[in-house]
Amino acid sequence: MKRLDLDLVVIGGGPAGLAAALKAKELGAEKVLLLERNTELGGILQQCIHDGFGIHRFNKRLSGNQYAQLFIDEVERMDIAVKLDTMVLEITADKKVYACNKHEGMLEINSKALILAMGCRERTASQVLIHGERPAGVLTAGAVQRYINMEGYLPGSKAVILGSGDIGLIMARRMTLEGLSVQGVYEVMPDPGGLTRNLVQCLDDFGIPLHLSTTVTAVHGRKRVEAVTVAQVNEAMSPVAGTERQVECDLLVLAVGLIPENELSRAAGVEMDPRTGGPLLDENFMTSIPGIFAAGNVAVVFDLVDHVSQSGEIAAAGAVDYLAGKPKGVESYRPVRAGENVSFVVPQRLNRECGLTTFFLRVKKPEKVAALSCYTGQKQIFKKRRRYLAPPEMLTFTANASGAKGITVALEKEASRR
Amino acid sequence: MKKIKNTLQKAFPEIELSLQLDGRGILTLAGECTDWQQVVAVGHRAAKLPGVKNVVNELRVPGLAVPEKDYGPLRSRGLKRGVVADVDLLIIGAGISGCAVARELAKYRLDILVVEMTDDVATGATKANNGNIHPGQAEKPGTLKARLNVEGNRLYSRWAKELDFTLQRCGAMGFITSTLLWPALLHGYRRAVKNGVDGVQLVGGRKAVALEPGLERCGLAPQVKGAMWLPSMGLVEPYQVTVALAENAADNGVRFWFNCTVADILTEKGIVTGAVTTEGIIRARTIINCAGVHADEISAMAGDRCFTIHPRKGVIAILDKAQKPKFDRLCEHITLKTVKQSLQKSHTKGGGMCYTPEKNILMGPSALEIPDKEDLSTSAEELAYAMGRGDETIDYSKIIRIFAGNRPADYSEDFIIEMSPVTGGFINVSAIQSPGLAAAPAIAKRVEQIVVEAAAESGAPLEKNPRWNPIRRRKPEFRHLSRREQDALIQRDPRYGRIICRCETVTEGEILEAIRSPVPPASVDAIKRRTRAGMGRCQGGFCQPRVLELLAKERGERWTEVTLKGEGSNILLRPNRPGAGKRGAR
Repeated sequence: MKRLDLDLVVIGGGPAGLAAALKAKELGAEKVLLLERNTELGGILQQCIHDGFGIHRFNKRLSGNQYAQLFIDEVERMDIAVKLDTMVLEITADKKVYACNKHEGMLEINSKALILAMGCRERTASQVLIHGERPAGVLTAGAVQRYINMEGYLPGSKAVILGSGDIGLIMARRMTLEGLSVQGVYEVMPDPGGLTRNLVQCLDDFGIPLHLSTTVTAVHGRKRVEAVTVAQVNEAMSPVAGTERQVECDLLVLAVGLIPENELSRAAGVEMDPRTGGPLLDENFMTSIPGIFAAGNVAVVFDLVDHVSQSGEIAAAGAVDYLAGKPKGVESYRPVRAGENVSFVVPQRLNRECGLTTFFLRVKKPEKVAALSCYTGQKQIFKKRRRYLAPPEMLTFTANASGAKGITVALEKEASRR
Repeated sequence: MKKIKNTLQKAFPEIELSLQLDGRGILTLAGECTDWQQVVAVGHRAAKLPGVKNVVNELRVPGLAVPEKDYGPLRSRGLKRGVVADVDLLIIGAGISGCAVARELAKYRLDILVVEMTDDVATGATKANNGNIHPGQAEKPGTLKARLNVEGNRLYSRWAKELDFTLQRCGAMGFITSTLLWPALLHGYRRAVKNGVDGVQLVGGRKAVALEPGLERCGLAPQVKGAMWLPSMGLVEPYQVTVALAENAADNGVRFWFNCTVADILTEKGIVTGAVTTEGIIRARTIINCAGVHADEISAMAGDRCFTIHPRKGVIAILDKAQKPKFDRLCEHITLKTVKQSLQKSHTKGGGMCYTPEKNILMGPSALEIPDKEDLSTSAEELAYAMGRGDETIDYSKIIRIFAGNRPADYSEDFIIEMSPVTGGFINVSAIQSPGLAAAPAIAKRVEQIVVEAAAESGAPLEKNPRWNPIRRRKPEFRHLSRREQDALIQRDPRYGRIICRCETVTEGEILEAIRSPVPPASVDAIKRRTRAGMGRCQGGFCQPRVLELLAKERGERWTEVTLKGEGSNILLRPNRPGAGKRGAR
């Protein structure tokens, strides 16, 4: 078994891992290794050939693969060590990594710090309790995207999409452009799950109907999908009897949510936040195990890649500080509380001397206008008026949050105090 | 006959029944019922009457179409193709029974062919059960089921050794927390003793807690008053057992034809001469019917209409491995509620909670009588039943897969394993429902005896196959090796260094070995059953394209030809760019 000793190992070469490795190197980390299970860097961005990536970061509308390439080129230029086609099988609490590939066999890597950037996976038909038969033609949106954009094959001709998150919307347009007829997008929630720009550009522009408060309850067809049953749902999200109807199709595309892939983190004993599905993080995106950091969708599911890259950089800066033996603040964390109309906030806890800290959060319910506010104890440290708030759009702000008291982040209705 | 009619008419006055009873005690029922559950209820009631050996149920429900396979076109297709094989022994169906029988009889000098209508072994009831190797305590004493279950359970240890599949003798325990329920425990114990169950014991609370540490962990320990301990309970992956049997049979010369449906049985002067299949006519001296839910149709084709299969659907849910089983053994908390439930449901009440050898919690199966043999749909109600019979704390969000199987039940609710008294050379191995998996080794032995005796009687006793080798070795399973062993394996064969299925840690080497095995898998689901690729929490979301690629490459197929589970279930319809669509390549 080959043994390696490193300062920093980044697990996952998608947007979070790429940004983390680059930033760490830039800040002076020396022995950095980037591990990627696929045969190329870039992660899921490689199959995202639509545009809209990098608007915040580069002020440009790039495709996913273009966005990734900017980072990949930089990784090459900076001569960062990369192992492709290499699967991490285990990480331990003392930051040992077991990974394997065809050429080297099993690797036992001892690292001083780790950044977890494994991304997320998609929820499946059984997980969202779709009943009926189990024929060919039921695929997650990511799998359909891979088949169409990477492998060069169409998995159907007439599609129904469940889920109006960005992935579902993007695939509605993509499949239409590829000549599939998209029968409709169905969304169990009363509000759309994706960004407004995607609703307009992916559905409205192509005349694809969106059915809110409606879900797919059953799949029909024994060999290939022949139809699905859709039904309206009540407030409790249960199908309403009598509203069922069959929609003919040969492909059911599921865009029903993403789950951070934290199996490795859990096995190492990293403490998790049930609200985000990711590790509990501090201002440096450090997990409950000192020296183990998390970034990107493994930490919390983001909607913009720009934020994913940013989170990678935050974790990298934290890791470099950790390697330099500069633990900020004191040993006891202050909690970050999700206040009025906030479903979660990352980071979930802060050191006393956290300094300038970037927060990421989602609102619970849509709101036209509200004040995004942050308090340490009773003291307001940040306030900004925000418009057209909706759960699909992640909010972010930066504030100096140093102090001794707990933090609260809230979206306060105008004129009302906390 | 009159008595039978009176009793039935009295029990179901609203149905106009017409009955026929033959000399063998086969009762044929006809008439119109109000719903399917009643059709089944009449059949069950009739089968229990004295003088009735089994029931052919032709009762119908007006307005309810019971789908029946149209064998006509399949038969003409086969006849047109003419004779394509001439064998000693034709086995119909490659489930656990068909493969067990094939493997057992391969020890004789016989030309054996197994035909299977689907694309792989273990695609029917065999793959969709809880993998329990039951001790045999639950069966009615005196039945064939009870005898073969206990005997089969015992033989499993040898099977596991010879065929190298995973068998975990986890043991099972039914425990009580109220002394009022001692009679229920005692009743179960007496039945187990009567059936000859190995090692069964009644134990007190303290011993029960010592045997099952989980009782302590979940805080029930102080309340446990006693338990029935069944050390012989075992767990297997049923498809793994079947693949092992099939591979060993193939190593010993048995041939397997997949996608081959039997459309008719040919007889001359009351003796079988062969079968018409979709591949053509297969001449055979002996035919063994292991056709699962379709066994009654096959038996009728052979001129022996002596039972009806009424499919009983079971829905199963598999949970994420992250959800750990509460108990180390298979445990059932016997309460007033469970006792009542088992009294109400006369046949199977389905299974509760258990786990698989790979430590996924398995909930179910449920039990629902349905008219359509090929209806494998699931519903919210059936899932709720499957989930509700276990631990109430189980959370639906931990479900990674829901599926169903149909038990091939007949109305006597016992196995039918016999040389047909009407058609010479035709052997029924039918109505093999639970505990068919546990009984499989004993079923195979019994069929062996029938075949050997028939051969001896015909004056041509069977000769042993001198080259028969009962040993089959499994291929390396990367996930079960230590890091050091994994490293050594990759150094020896680099294909084991590429992980294809992340969730279950399945390597390219394992998938390629499976594709090149003696009974090669031809579809993505067939690969899944052999290697576990796609069986984990992402359900193939990431690995399906890679598995598809390997299948296409190894089999020299176009990507669009690769199926999920056999003919007609192609995953990809057409290429969308030039260069794609070549055989074996993108």
